[in-house]
Amino acid sequence: MWSILLFVLFGALALGCAVAVVAQRNPLYSAISLIGVFVALAALYLTLAAPFIAAVQVIVYAGAIMVLVVFVIMLLNVEEEVRRPVRLHRMIVAGVLLGAALVAETFFMLTASGTGRVMGPPATDVGSTASVGTGLFTEYLLPFEVTSVLILMALVGAITLARQTRGLPATGGAPAGAAPAAGGADIIQPGFTAETGRAFARYQVEAGEAAAPAGEEEGH
Amino acid sequence: MVPLSFYLALSAVLFTIGVVGVIIKRNAIQMFMCIELMLNAVNLTFVAFSSYFNDVTGQLFVFIVMTVAAAEAAVGLGIIIAIFRNRESLDVDEASVLRL
Repeated sequence: MWSILLFVLFGALALGCAVAVVAQRNPLYSAISLIGVFVALAALYLTLAAPFIAAVQVIVYAGAIMVLVVFVIMLLNVEEEVRRPVRLHRMIVAGVLLGAALVAETFFMLTASGTGRVMGPPATDVGSTASVGTGLFTEYLLPFEVTSVLILMALVGAITLARQTRGLPATGGAPAGAAPAAGGADIIQPGFTAETGRAFARYQVEAGEAAAPAGEEEGH
Repeated sequence: MVPLSFYLALSAVLFTIGVVGVIIKRNAIQMFMCIELMLNAVNLTFVAFSSYFNDVTGQLFVFIVMTVAAAEAAVGLGIIIAIFRNRESLDVDEASVLRL
């Protein structure tokens, strides 16, 4: 009785927050709704007697990954989605009908198969940290080690992708600073060649923007 | 005790919501979050089967899926930052070609 109640409560919370993730136009509200889904799923894991997975769900997903996502949203200053006119009106009707048929098929399959019957209470030690650790370090040691290699690759990939290449010397391809501007005009770099650099320095001195160089430029 | 099919049905609906979000969303970060939603729906299936068959293997796979999701978050958000730096926008409809 209590387990049904808990399932309905947290299942409804997960479903509502999941719909909110898709329905929100502001990415920050979507992220907060997604945290709600993660917490509701952690509670469902607790009702399934998996406390270790529930704790890891809250720590890794709601703690680490969502902090990363919210940080990126704040960093990029993402604007809300603009509303666009809906095309394909008849396709929406067909999609809703086909989706309803798919949901009906799924529920029929789940109730007609044997998964509907109750299978007895789960053993208390299956989801414990000790049993998870024993399985992870004996039978599934190879996937665990491969996972560490995957993490290393993701580390290198993330650093490579997010690195600021603007200040580095151009070894291959054009540097970002020498690319044409958005308006079509080329950006003129003051120190692009020695000649333009000296001309720019003379202009700066004439315009009073900089102090005169100590005779170094005229020497060449 | 809740029947197993309840958990499977909830997981299927959550997965479908994630698929719909990936299809209809235009913001890259929101598409990314819908992918996380799909991963979590699969995790719920794993834990439900693990609990009902008294076998810890499903929970070990959930552990590995979470690791993959963390790696995916790092690389995916790096790609999103790179796209934003090049285009000043996260609209995936505008990023329809593989060049600047």
